[in-house]
Amino acid sequence: MNARADRAAAGESVPRLAPGCDPTSLPLTPAEAYLLTRVDGSTPFSQLIQIGGLPPEEAEQCLQSWLEAGVLVVGDAPCAPPPGADTSAPDPPPGPEAVPEAEAEPDRESAPPGESGPPEPPLEIDPALEIAAEDQQRIIDFGSRLERSYYDVLGVAPGADAKAIKRAYFKLSREFHPDRYFRREIGPYEARLHRIFKKIVEAYELLSDPATRAELDRSLAEDPQAAPSRKRHARGPRPFGVMAKMLRERKKKAKRFYEAGKAAFKAERWLEASASVRLAIAFDPQNEAYKEGFSEVVVKANAIRSAQILTEAEAALDMRRPDEALALYEEALHLRPHDPEVNHTAARLALVVGTDLRKAKEYAATACEVEPDKASHHRLLGQIYKAANLTANARREIETALRLDPKDKEAKAELKRLKRW
Amino acid sequence: MAHVIGIDLGTTNSCVAVLEGGQPTVIPNAGGYKTTPSMFAISQDGKRLVGHLAKRQAITNSANTVYASKRLIGRRFDSTEVQRSIDLCTYEIVRGPNDDPRIVIAGKTFTCPEIAGIILREMKRVAEEYLGERVSDAVITVPAHFNDTQRQCTKDAGKIAGLEVLRIINEPTAAALSYGLGRKGEEKVAIYDLGGGTFDISIVEMGEGVVEVLATDGNTFLGGEDFDRRLVTHLIEHFQQSEGIDLREDTMALQRLKDAAEKAKCDLSSAQSTEVNLPFVANDASGPHHLNLPITRDVLEGLVDDMARQTIKIVEGCVNAANVSPEDISRVVMVGGQSRMPLIHQAIAEFFGKAAHKGVNPDEAVAIGACIQGQMLMEEDKDMLLLDVTPMSLGIATFGGHFAQLIERNTTVPVRKSHVFTTTRDNQTAVKIRVLQGESEVAADNDLLGEFVLNGIRTAPKGEPEVDVSFDIDANGIVSVSARDRHTGKEQSITVNATSTLSPDEIERIIEENDLYEVEMKE
Repeated sequence: MNARADRAAAGESVPRLAPGCDPTSLPLTPAEAYLLTRVDGSTPFSQLIQIGGLPPEEAEQCLQSWLEAGVLVVGDAPCAPPPGADTSAPDPPPGPEAVPEAEAEPDRESAPPGESGPPEPPLEIDPALEIAAEDQQRIIDFGSRLERSYYDVLGVAPGADAKAIKRAYFKLSREFHPDRYFRREIGPYEARLHRIFKKIVEAYELLSDPATRAELDRSLAEDPQAAPSRKRHARGPRPFGVMAKMLRERKKKAKRFYEAGKAAFKAERWLEASASVRLAIAFDPQNEAYKEGFSEVVVKANAIRSAQILTEAEAALDMRRPDEALALYEEALHLRPHDPEVNHTAARLALVVGTDLRKAKEYAATACEVEPDKASHHRLLGQIYKAANLTANARREIETALRLDPKDKEAKAELKRLKRW
Repeated sequence: MAHVIGIDLGTTNSCVAVLEGGQPTVIPNAGGYKTTPSMFAISQDGKRLVGHLAKRQAITNSANTVYASKRLIGRRFDSTEVQRSIDLCTYEIVRGPNDDPRIVIAGKTFTCPEIAGIILREMKRVAEEYLGERVSDAVITVPAHFNDTQRQCTKDAGKIAGLEVLRIINEPTAAALSYGLGRKGEEKVAIYDLGGGTFDISIVEMGEGVVEVLATDGNTFLGGEDFDRRLVTHLIEHFQQSEGIDLREDTMALQRLKDAAEKAKCDLSSAQSTEVNLPFVANDASGPHHLNLPITRDVLEGLVDDMARQTIKIVEGCVNAANVSPEDISRVVMVGGQSRMPLIHQAIAEFFGKAAHKGVNPDEAVAIGACIQGQMLMEEDKDMLLLDVTPMSLGIATFGGHFAQLIERNTTVPVRKSHVFTTTRDNQTAVKIRVLQGESEVAADNDLLGEFVLNGIRTAPKGEPEVDVSFDIDANGIVSVSARDRHTGKEQSITVNATSTLSPDEIERIIEENDLYEVEMKE
């Protein structure tokens, strides 16, 4: 893997769309376009790679090429609103069903710590605090250097041995650990100390693990510009220093979920099995074995879930709530898109509810497509056309229905009414 | 500066220490003992007794004498450990209104933090009499793998005792501080802590005046009392064979057996053989029966060998978690009464390839370390710093009943970690964030610390909304969790450290009630 630039220098740099650049003019695949829409002027590179939907290496390449082509820029100019972003945020009141039994689903790797914290206000030396002025100055100075390379944060040379790194870590800990000012009135310095200390720990953790340190060193060797400080230039720093470790961890997680899925499969807990496998695939999309081995479990899980949904839908029908029933049938259609019965009922309900006849037509047409010889599907489609005032189409369908089943009374009556028009 | 005391609140014994002019002193109680039994009783005439007094009358008043209540604190009534205690204990344990175990003696119901508070108050009193001044600030120790609720309950106990708890720290960590006091060199040390009720192991590194915990592990169900129980069972079986009498149903005999077993076990740490002698332990139609049985060290070791090996297995895991090898460890510091056993020393020597360190007192090191930490926190010029770690992993429950770890155990605190989550259903506008603590990948097997709902997520297909979930642990171990929808900017957060089995009102009530007994306890 071609990992570059260390995370301190670059992982937190934030790209935005270059002013005047029209993304619609670019030759993008849908997946690339999706990644580009994630660029919103506030998400840093490291997170874009995680959330872009592409395999990390590809996402990295894309972002890099856009930087080079001038599609993206990095800098502090005020950023344009993200392309295609919906700022109005419709917010329907969450009903009781809004809180799911099962909770959130993890889909992306951790963001580097500390990034999502609120912006820090500038600190000033305040003699009223229980902290010496020179200590305040030291905290201000150190706090302003947190974006530098990890070696700079710890104040060691890039070639420093493990012992020197540990010593530096201990020395800085004694100076900046929040316990140093335990129960003293230090105002805003409290938050700043926590931030500084977390950064020190992060630097130490990455530099004391030979694997991550080698990764960082490689990126420094390739791009010495990234080493001394975070320079803001048009091409932007490269954020991808710790990719290898993150990938390894993702794969580990994927494997864990896959194993859990296997166990659930054995125990015939299909829903759980499919959820686990889906997570495994989310964490390790390249692994074909995950995708193949479990088509069966997905089918089984979908069957169970759609059966559950349909039972709910029938209950809603019994309660004479066609709109609720329709919503549930539509959910079931996600799982069984080609089931003629489900399509038929959904179409009938959509016709009754009457708010979206186009959907009703689609469902009925699907039913006809799957079972072209069933009169009732064509009759229903005809009725929908009629409701939409498309009489010619309506007649055609009703006549088809009658051809398939000449005894269909309802169709006969319908045809009579149509002829009267 | 006012003194800060360090209290080792043990399962069987407690100990209090203070730093005087940089030198640690373990404070003896009125009887001259440096440790005080963690026992509380109400006597036949209604008097409250704590410590040695409670222990001395335990045999004749076992139903009204509380011991080993640390095994119950902060647990749920239905937990295995509480249920096991119900079978073993001579006092009554009932289900409290918050599903917590409560103890009934002499017709009065006590919560576990209350019992712990009574013992802490006694330790505070011991310190005050010795120092001749009021004491309020204290650092209290708990086993390394105590969860959040157990720690919070211990904090509440401190409050009930009238103490200002500066911090709760881990027992092995405290022992490391005690070992590290005054040492300047760089080294890695293992702390093997086998107490009355629990086993802990920590690997720490020190240098530059910093003590850093690299990894910690343990087992709350393993301690000296389990060793005693093996010996008691052995005695009962022997007696049944030779005399045909089962002593299991005889509370008084059991209590005597327990004391005798403990004493024999201690004897065998120095001698090769000893004798258990219990005259008139039972009576039947044929007259009185006496128990008289010589026990050799080999017999005892055969009875408990598997438990010793079990601790070494945990040690091995902890050494691996710390990413060191046994040869890197320069000293193995032994803490807790049960660590005196020669069998344990042998096992340690085998594993580490070096003899266990005997430089610290196993009964006192933890309390000394606690007072060192207290002093370190309060002092202006600090010459030592403790870098502690989270004892258990933290995370949230996810789809399918899984547990997503956000902060792995053994992570240095303070720390902040975040992670992006998404929805599992189309147009899902709310997610429930359930904050869990534990090591199981199955959400239901971990402890629930708290939960909240983030709603107002924008309507979108499943998998599209992005919710940042951040965990923060500050230097005091207080955990806060926040969730933020990246798109709408909506945010919800909770501070989850407050999960105790007692409400603040209950604590206030208990404090008031116990103040009434203050005079009585000073007798």
